[in-house]
Amino acid sequence: MKILVPLKRVADPDNANKVKIPAGGATIDTTGLEWKPNPFDEYALEAALRLTENGASPKARQGEVVVVSFGPKDMEPTLRSALATGADRAIRVDAKDDQLDGALVARALKALIEKEKPDYVLMGKQAVDGDSNQVGQMLAQLLGWPQATFAATIQEEAGALLVGREVDGGVLTLRVKGPAIVTVDLRIVAPTSVFSKSTARTFKYNDGVRFAPLPAIMAAKKKPLAEVKLSELTSDTALRVEYVKFEPPPGRQAGVKVKDVGDLVHRLKNDAKVL
Amino acid sequence: MDPLTFVESIRGQFPPDFFTQDPSELLEYGKDWTRVYTPDPSAIAFPRSTEEVARLLRLCHQAGVPVVPSGGRTGLAAGAVAARRELVLSLSRMRRMDPVDTLGQTVRVQAGAVTEAVHHHCSEHGLTWPVDFASKGSSQVGGNIATNAGGVKVIRYGLTRQWVLGLQVVTAAGEVLELNGALEKNNTGFDLRQLFIGSEGTLGVITEATLKLARLPGGQDVLLLAVEDVPAVLRLFEAARREPFQISAYEFFTDRCAARVERHRKIAPPLATRAPCYVLLELEKGVDYNLDQWLSTLFERELILDGTMAQTSSQGAQLWALREGISESLSATGLPHKNDVSLPIAGLSAFCAEFGRVFEERYPGWEICLFGHIGDGNLHINVMKPEGMEKAEFLAQTSKADRDLFELVRQHRGSISAEHGVGLLKKPYLGYSRAPEELAVLRAVKQALDPKNILNPGKIFDL
Repeated sequence: MKILVPLKRVADPDNANKVKIPAGGATIDTTGLEWKPNPFDEYALEAALRLTENGASPKARQGEVVVVSFGPKDMEPTLRSALATGADRAIRVDAKDDQLDGALVARALKALIEKEKPDYVLMGKQAVDGDSNQVGQMLAQLLGWPQATFAATIQEEAGALLVGREVDGGVLTLRVKGPAIVTVDLRIVAPTSVFSKSTARTFKYNDGVRFAPLPAIMAAKKKPLAEVKLSELTSDTALRVEYVKFEPPPGRQAGVKVKDVGDLVHRLKNDAKVL
Repeated sequence: MDPLTFVESIRGQFPPDFFTQDPSELLEYGKDWTRVYTPDPSAIAFPRSTEEVARLLRLCHQAGVPVVPSGGRTGLAAGAVAARRELVLSLSRMRRMDPVDTLGQTVRVQAGAVTEAVHHHCSEHGLTWPVDFASKGSSQVGGNIATNAGGVKVIRYGLTRQWVLGLQVVTAAGEVLELNGALEKNNTGFDLRQLFIGSEGTLGVITEATLKLARLPGGQDVLLLAVEDVPAVLRLFEAARREPFQISAYEFFTDRCAARVERHRKIAPPLATRAPCYVLLELEKGVDYNLDQWLSTLFERELILDGTMAQTSSQGAQLWALREGISESLSATGLPHKNDVSLPIAGLSAFCAEFGRVFEERYPGWEICLFGHIGDGNLHINVMKPEGMEKAEFLAQTSKADRDLFELVRQHRGSISAEHGVGLLKKPYLGYSRAPEELAVLRAVKQALDPKNILNPGKIFDL
């Protein structure tokens, strides 16, 4: 089985270097930001690895996982990390962060997928920076492929994936025949969420994304990482989304100390107006 | 004078909210994180200025009323416990922070400023006060200095002592001393400031400090490495220290600790190989640092059995949780008896071997959970109560075992308290780490600075 995993890098919110917005709010200043892979894409990679191995003997790969990302050269460490975690190959589509939108990424991915011919595309349901939740769906439309979004579980069947989606009041199970797009939710990395054909149904994975063993980190340096120009994938690089303005969230107002319960009730009634 | 009568007699000289005798406050301000002593202070005083501290101490001095200086009360040696009707002097209201001096990289703060608040205050300027530990959300600058606090970054930055430029101290008699200001260099006789750092509130009350700051580090690489035994932990440490990268943590724990964390938190081990010992190694990401090359030699040189490096900051946090969760998980899965000793690093292997032998012989069947800041020579030794043994019996046994442990520590020229201090808890054992001649000098210093013994009496040593 061959799986393609588009993986976006996002600014690391845990890092001390916060996102800065220059005066006017037309852009975001990305200098000095620390990056990490979009968590949902990391989960998609973990799910793809589980689908291409027997959980009990993961060293013997039973398929190919190709990760692809859009960005400048300095994003290559993110792809190397994905290779260390277990991906077999990586492709970087050379592009600038602020010259991309969801529709352009979907158009370029379509061209890449037609070349790579994966059996499935697994990706995060959304990126945690823009929260757009569009690329997977647009890509399915452009390719004319079936899609299963917000996957919480995946089981491999002959020529198809059985995808469980958590919906209000229960689980909706879809059978998608490959080639297809699957976007994943956070529960996809639970111990019994993903089973390849060869993984025993009694097998339990560690919860979360796997740690990369040191030998794999070394070996990742030698795995192929190709570069593709954005213009080679699509001639239409116009952006459909125009970012009008960026604003930081409003600062928190200072709290007040209340004297006693009476004062608290008074303030809830008259200042906060919630009673 | 009886402390209660004393408080009544001077109440009028201070603002109305200066003292409190509210029973729940007395309970709270009379204790630290130890749970051995019953708090019983007579009153709590909350000064707002150095002038009020000085005025109060002058009065206490005249009346001979004992005072326990009090910070965030997160100590683990009962140094801030008031169990004998003392007056607690809380610095909590004195938490002013002056603007950061970005040229000198210093900041002047009052003693009650909370450690984490100082970190936030400085981080806007890309600077930090590199005193860091789990209790930073409650611990206060004055308490950190009075206990010369340690933590997980000592290997990189040293103890609190290294990061204090100047101190303002009020003596037992109510004199205000300004020590060293903001000077890096000042070679004009005894450096009195150093005397108050680590004095556990027995020599004076720290009211303000000029803190030395460091540049905030960039990213870090976090590795978890599996090794065979304590000598292997130290061989790896020696190898890591030779490299040109900056080690910001070198922590170790045994598989018994890991197993209890995994059981308590229901988490899976990050490594495929189960090993007797694990090392958490954190490195600062440098400009020109060839980690990969070094890592590739670790297997060849048989320095490690297995290992992983966090690929994201959240994986880094998961690895840290294994180490930082140990204390909590030991308490949640059993009854640990804790010790915090330090040894010369070169003597750690021999000490651990002998310690293991002695305990196996005299206390067979006890589960010992070993972890700590091994890069600083600091071991946290936790003995778990055996299933089926009564608690009282266990406590009696451990106090006997402590003497055996401390005797070994003495023979290996270590310290019975690496970073937790002495307070009340370790007072009976001070003789294992300090010679009689040394203790005599300590007592003479105490008598010179606090002749009436009103400052935290009965802590560290008795007069």
